[in-house]
Amino acid sequence: MKRRTEDAATEPASPLERRLVFLAGKGGVGKSTVATALALVAVRRRKRVLLLGLDSDDRGRDVAGLRPAPGAEPVEVLPGLFRQNVEGRAALEEYLRLVVPVRRVLQAVFDSRVYQYFVAAAPGLKELMAIGKIWYEVDRGRWDLVIVDSPATGHALQYLRMPKAAYETFTTGLVHREAKRVWDLLRDPASTAVSVVTVAEELPVNETVAICREIREQLALPPGCLFVNRVHAPDLSAAELGPAAARPRGGRPADEALCRAALAAAEEEIAWGALNESYGRRLAAETGWRLVKLPFLFREEFGFGDVEALSRLIEPVVAPAAKPRPGREEPQR
Amino acid sequence: MTSTLRGVVERHDVIVCAGSGGVGKTTTAAAIALWGAQRGRRAAVLTIDPARRLADSLGLPLAGGSEVVVPAALLRENGIVLRGSLSAMMLDQKGAWDSLVERHAPSAEVRDRILRNRFYQHLSQSFAGSQEYMAIEELARLRDSGRYDLIVVDTPPSRHALEFLEAPQRIADFLDRRIVRWFVKPYVAAGWSALRLLNRTAGFVLRALEEAAGVGVLAEISDFFAGMQGLFDGMNERMERVYRVLKSQKTAFVLVSSPEEEVLEEAEYLSDEMRALGMPLRAVVFNRVHEEFTEPVDDDDVPRGAIGGGEWRRVQAALERAGIAPADLARRLARNFAAYQDVARGDGLRLEMFSRGLPRQVPIARVPNFAGDLHQLSALARMHPYLFGGA
Repeated sequence: MKRRTEDAATEPASPLERRLVFLAGKGGVGKSTVATALALVAVRRRKRVLLLGLDSDDRGRDVAGLRPAPGAEPVEVLPGLFRQNVEGRAALEEYLRLVVPVRRVLQAVFDSRVYQYFVAAAPGLKELMAIGKIWYEVDRGRWDLVIVDSPATGHALQYLRMPKAAYETFTTGLVHREAKRVWDLLRDPASTAVSVVTVAEELPVNETVAICREIREQLALPPGCLFVNRVHAPDLSAAELGPAAARPRGGRPADEALCRAALAAAEEEIAWGALNESYGRRLAAETGWRLVKLPFLFREEFGFGDVEALSRLIEPVVAPAAKPRPGREEPQR
Repeated sequence: MTSTLRGVVERHDVIVCAGSGGVGKTTTAAAIALWGAQRGRRAAVLTIDPARRLADSLGLPLAGGSEVVVPAALLRENGIVLRGSLSAMMLDQKGAWDSLVERHAPSAEVRDRILRNRFYQHLSQSFAGSQEYMAIEELARLRDSGRYDLIVVDTPPSRHALEFLEAPQRIADFLDRRIVRWFVKPYVAAGWSALRLLNRTAGFVLRALEEAAGVGVLAEISDFFAGMQGLFDGMNERMERVYRVLKSQKTAFVLVSSPEEEVLEEAEYLSDEMRALGMPLRAVVFNRVHEEFTEPVDDDDVPRGAIGGGEWRRVQAALERAGIAPADLARRLARNFAAYQDVARGDGLRLEMFSRGLPRQVPIARVPNFAGDLHQLSALARMHPYLFGGA
């Protein structure tokens, strides 16, 4: 991974020194993997970490080999690492339970059709409640670091837009006050870093450029890193394949067949490497964000050990200054 | 008779490509429409947010909205001959609600009143389902026009793919007259506290909302619903029409997926839910599949699937026997090959597991993980042998 040498002043602080790291990005690029890898780096630095999943439904996926956390309470999945799912509707009910202490009234509210209607239809209400819940977790002082892993699909910006939209739409009242508190946290560069995850291919890159621009320009939120996942870095070159393909034939048919397949795989890897390289350059040029590249891992099945390996690879980049303290065992699965 | 994707496309007028985002749905939809057009169909592809280069290669203008015939010059350049015709249409992603309002507002004043409403402006940006609804309404419109006998729809990259089917119902619920009536009474705009007497619970909820939101916003919401009233009138009829198209015998749902575990989990859920909705999958397309090398490695007949990451030395020996030199190149080639085999074996196992859960008559097409972007017309045609078999 290439890194420009920069002044300490212009170099953004490590995302792990913040209280809240929010990961945005197009679906299917490995946001959960990056979120978990970041969490593992922080846990090795003896931080108490909450990994919050923003999921529209609670079918509870196994994230990067770590079991899902059903229910409203955080579950400790590794020593120092807690997981919790945030869902807007549940967050709203939790909130109402706090402000309406009478259970019978509350039940009547939940059952009423006007309430059902409003929860289902009010634009952005669920997003606003979910992000309010994130604020609550950051503010209550239980965690050194809260990492928000946005939904498996959808780019998560709708969550970041909501506090500002609500704060501007509702010029007085409770929503205005609550939205402003959340917005102030999100905008504070000492507390928050909004990072983006992508892969270096055409469509994700187009979307990522737009996401980074919106985060920095329209929303004016403090940017973190741009994680580029699944980067192919071939140790083969096209120049080497020419002579190999032109070798004299006449060996055993089985060897010849294997040879053709191996050369095809090499061509494939070289092509992916070139594609990733060129889109990586575009990302750097068009966003100006700091890139953190994660290699494509050739695995039959992607598991927790692979996330661990990735976390060690990104560690020197995302947490360069701090040194791990001795005397604590490595987390076990 | 074994069913094939070819047969499914031949027997249906509407193909809906469903699946999670980022699995090549748009490309697959375009490839299916192109194939139909090459074989004499009057084909149209309805897409949501294509890659810039795919839009270019179909001759689509960047601003969405209307149908365009893919220019003959573009086809010629790519060596493609159509016996039928190919049109493409891109839905305007941002303006989906705006077009809905423009299309159905009873008058220009009502239209402007809605478009200017602040509540509407926030709603149209953040309320999910509008793209899905517009895609379905456009589909019904194209179908009714009679200009096409094959329409291929690329569904929007929703939170999950089922939203495409649920969106019309959700929009209808949102615009439900019985509920909306609450918001359009004149005294609502003045302050919802007036409603307290009507129903204790509703009164409580509305009072809480008023306290939370401020009276000014409620007036705006009320005004919005008053403006939207004219739009509700044809709603049920339109809903029935789009569901009729979706449930028609001539409409087929094709699931597009990739071999990744997360994507397959989503696909499995979708497949079950669609069956329950009475709109079962007719075919499955797996994109980005790494295929395993299954021929024996040496003469001692190594069984299928035996080449893995740990087996690269044996592969290196075979490559050197076949004349690859120097040894260092043979080693790197062998390691790369073995790494790809690991991925391919994983893909194969996951797809096999997934396929076992499908009804037997649902055909499955596997498209390889082409390196590079498939965004040229000629490149779309490269998918055809994998989707539809030999010529």
